[in-house]
Amino acid sequence: MGDSQYSFSLTTFSPSGKLVQIEYALTAVSAGQTSLGIKASNGVVIATEKKLPSILVDENSVHKIQLLTPNIGVAYSGMGPDSRVLVRKSRKQAQQYKRLYNEPIPLSQLVRETAVVMQEFTQSGGVRPFGVSLLVAGFDDNGPQLYQVDPSGSYFSWKASAIGKNVSNAKTFLEKRYTDDMELEDAIHTAILTLKEGFEGQISGKNIEIGIVDASRKFRVLTPAEVDDYLAEVE
Amino acid sequence: MTKTAIDLPPKGGFSFDLCRRNAFLESQGAKMPKFRKTGTTIVGLVFKDGVILGADTRATEGEIVCDKNCEKIHYLAPNIYCCGAGTAADTENVTDMVSSQLELHRYATSRESRVVTALTMLKSHLFGYQGKVSAALVLGGVDVTGPHLHAVYPHGSTDTLPFATMGSGSLAAMAVFESRFKEGMTKEQGIEVVCAAICAGIFNDLGSGSNVDLCVITKGGKEYLRNYQQPNPRSYTHSKGYHFTTILSSKIRSLRNHVRVVEGDAMEEE
Repeated sequence: MGDSQYSFSLTTFSPSGKLVQIEYALTAVSAGQTSLGIKASNGVVIATEKKLPSILVDENSVHKIQLLTPNIGVAYSGMGPDSRVLVRKSRKQAQQYKRLYNEPIPLSQLVRETAVVMQEFTQSGGVRPFGVSLLVAGFDDNGPQLYQVDPSGSYFSWKASAIGKNVSNAKTFLEKRYTDDMELEDAIHTAILTLKEGFEGQISGKNIEIGIVDASRKFRVLTPAEVDDYLAEVE
Repeated sequence: MTKTAIDLPPKGGFSFDLCRRNAFLESQGAKMPKFRKTGTTIVGLVFKDGVILGADTRATEGEIVCDKNCEKIHYLAPNIYCCGAGTAADTENVTDMVSSQLELHRYATSRESRVVTALTMLKSHLFGYQGKVSAALVLGGVDVTGPHLHAVYPHGSTDTLPFATMGSGSLAAMAVFESRFKEGMTKEQGIEVVCAAICAGIFNDLGSGSNVDLCVITKGGKEYLRNYQQPNPRSYTHSKGYHFTTILSSKIRSLRNHVRVVEGDAMEEE
């Protein structure tokens, strides 16, 4: 990176005006495990599949949903290692913001800074775009919010969204079920049902991960036991 | 694009670039600015269930008291606090920076911060600046390995102790500790000894004064007792407050008689 031989961007326009590398990155995202998020009136829930490549993998060591600040969490679909880079950068940016302005970073600012980083990697020498889409959920002074950030660097605020495999079915399901005055508990049930729709195999607290943030502004990942309880409620 | 340059780690340490200039200016008679110091008495003590930190609340600028009730016990982590003596800006910023670094470390490791981690981050930073960052700290906290108390000196050396004092009032406070400290005290006993030590500093050291701040950290959590004792109350304010007499007379003059309103063009902008 930064070497003179690679000071040109690998992401270049096609004759039809598309950036093919970004399209391919989105394809990588669509091949990733499903993640979804739902914004309720009093909180946000994000959930992701946690299909491990083999039964020998220690599932306690895998954490797909990560904390960025005490009140903001993130889930991803696509390439795990790429998401780690973004999570690390976002955490640092949040700390820098706090040191500069002496207030916790608003969610929209953090999302924008992350998106800026992702865009830089589509217009810099010797690098490729990130192969992840992120679902960032948080609760700040502007209430509960859910954002989706794509490999191109574009971001949108969503009431409910899904990324990864099976996106169209999941979105249709969410469109039918979503209501503006949904509460967090209903949102968690809806999230589980949506994940269940496209799930291959037996769904349990061990192969999905759910993160919630409510009015207490503390984002937390539910334990497998709590997830199993919600699954039992949904049955 | 500058962003693609290799991310070098920050060089850190003191930059001596301006030292020659400063020495020259001083030799020419320019006065070096006085900076705000926390004259200070800060103490820490390990008791049965954890750690108690104490501090006075006076901040001085040379011979003037510039803050009668400043906060000298700084937050580093939910289970780690740090008292700071020396230049106020240095203690505040160093503890702020390390607190930020500890938070990032907590996210990366998914674990509660350890006192030795904070200690190592502080001492590395201070050593890198060769004592120019004038921060003398009493660092205390409780983590999975138990309660810990350390004294950190501006050049980067540290002591690990059951009781520690720093600042201009440290001798007065240490005299109290040396005679009254016992291992395995209860919380009430510990608070009493810490208050006595800080009060010794407040009353016998000019650089310390005003109130006593405490922070009690145990495995279960922390109690930040701001202004736990106020042995120097303001006793000279008017007890009945101030009130003003009824209006004796009033005279209203209309400005319209003196100001002529003229229509005109808007000002031209160059």
